[in-house]
Amino acid sequence: MVSSSKDESGSDGENSSGNAPESNSECLFAGGEKVLAYHGPRIYEAKVQKVDFRKNEWKYHVHYLGWNKNWDEWVGMDRLMKHTEENVLKQQALDKKAGVDKNPKSGRSSQVKPKSSSDGKLDKEETKNNVAKGKKRKADSGIEKNNSAAEKLLKIQIPSTLKKQLVDDWEFITQQNKLVKLPRSPNVEDIFTKYLDYRSKKDGMKTDAVGEILKGLRCYFNKALPVVLLYQKERDQYHEAVSDNITPSNIYGAEHLLRLFVKLPELLAFVKIDAETLIRMQQKLHEFLKFLQKNESTFFLATYDGPKITEGSGKGKDN
Amino acid sequence: MESLYTRPCKIPNSSFRKEKSELELELRLLEALEIYPPAKLRGIHRHFVLYGLTEYLRRSFNQPFSGDDVLKLLDRFYNLEMVKPDDEDTEILNQEEDFRLPQSYFVTEDS
Repeated sequence: MVSSSKDESGSDGENSSGNAPESNSECLFAGGEKVLAYHGPRIYEAKVQKVDFRKNEWKYHVHYLGWNKNWDEWVGMDRLMKHTEENVLKQQALDKKAGVDKNPKSGRSSQVKPKSSSDGKLDKEETKNNVAKGKKRKADSGIEKNNSAAEKLLKIQIPSTLKKQLVDDWEFITQQNKLVKLPRSPNVEDIFTKYLDYRSKKDGMKTDAVGEILKGLRCYFNKALPVVLLYQKERDQYHEAVSDNITPSNIYGAEHLLRLFVKLPELLAFVKIDAETLIRMQQKLHEFLKFLQKNESTFFLATYDGPKITEGSGKGKDN
Repeated sequence: MESLYTRPCKIPNSSFRKEKSELELELRLLEALEIYPPAKLRGIHRHFVLYGLTEYLRRSFNQPFSGDDVLKLLDRFYNLEMVKPDDEDTEILNQEEDFRLPQSYFVTEDS
């Protein structure tokens, strides 16, 4: 049982150093200590790697055990708990709530399936198993509002070379402090136009359905870009590049469009669509992605612009 | 968010009764609207909703339909401009959040 008594310097906040007036002045967890940490709706085992005192409170850099170090982050004491029996029970309670089978997992399974139902089938069991296999999902506020919507997510298969684009994109921006040079050419509008051309040559007249889907994507893209499609480090650039009369789809290109596809299942979760239509949509979206892949060298940048922001450590996990 | 069911003013040449196929069409549309309510045709998802409606009719009649065809048909029943968008649609994408590439993308094994 965790005793609630803090040691002397804790509660009244009058510290000899004079710079920690509040009850946060006490360092509760030590480097190397195994703890339990909240992440989204669940609790995970983690280890404190380092400790720092910033802005009048203690912050702990944690590594989630069994998870890739990309998930490592700084958290405050509100997210952490001592690794005690009582707290492990809390962890199990949340696991149960999330519908997870507590499998003894030895680290992360190498094949992590995206959290979605496979082949358009609305299979809840399968989705729950995916969650159990360890797809850690941060509770994205504002998009994933409730579990039932999330469970029926449309699965969008992104070709592996495009997945690599996304990883490179992440690397350039978050690790190397680079930015996409704007405005892009071709931009999203150009890409859509080219795709329609391509399809009408292939299918003859039947481009109406494709046209409607592209309109839908454009609509999402323009609304979503400033809200959920930017890395932190791109926000200044966005404000400079996009003003009142300018739509993102005229400025940004394939790099950011691809990010939309990562978010697409969540966005579509809010629209009820019948199963057959969902399958056709899946096909059409997949065809579009193949088109992007086919034209990868023309649509995507090979390199981004050198660091404009001088940040000390490129290790900063800003994403 | 009230819809007015208005019969078109002009009556087909011979009788008050509509062609059976016309009725079929309208019925199917109204059926489809249970899945795809007009309110959803006003929000951010509207193109996908229209796509769903179009697909539904296309499948029901095994005939090609375009988005415009469907909108025209809908116009017999609803004045879409008067329809208020779904609340949920206006709430989505309100909270700014940094993009995050999910874990699965970093797995180097072929997935």
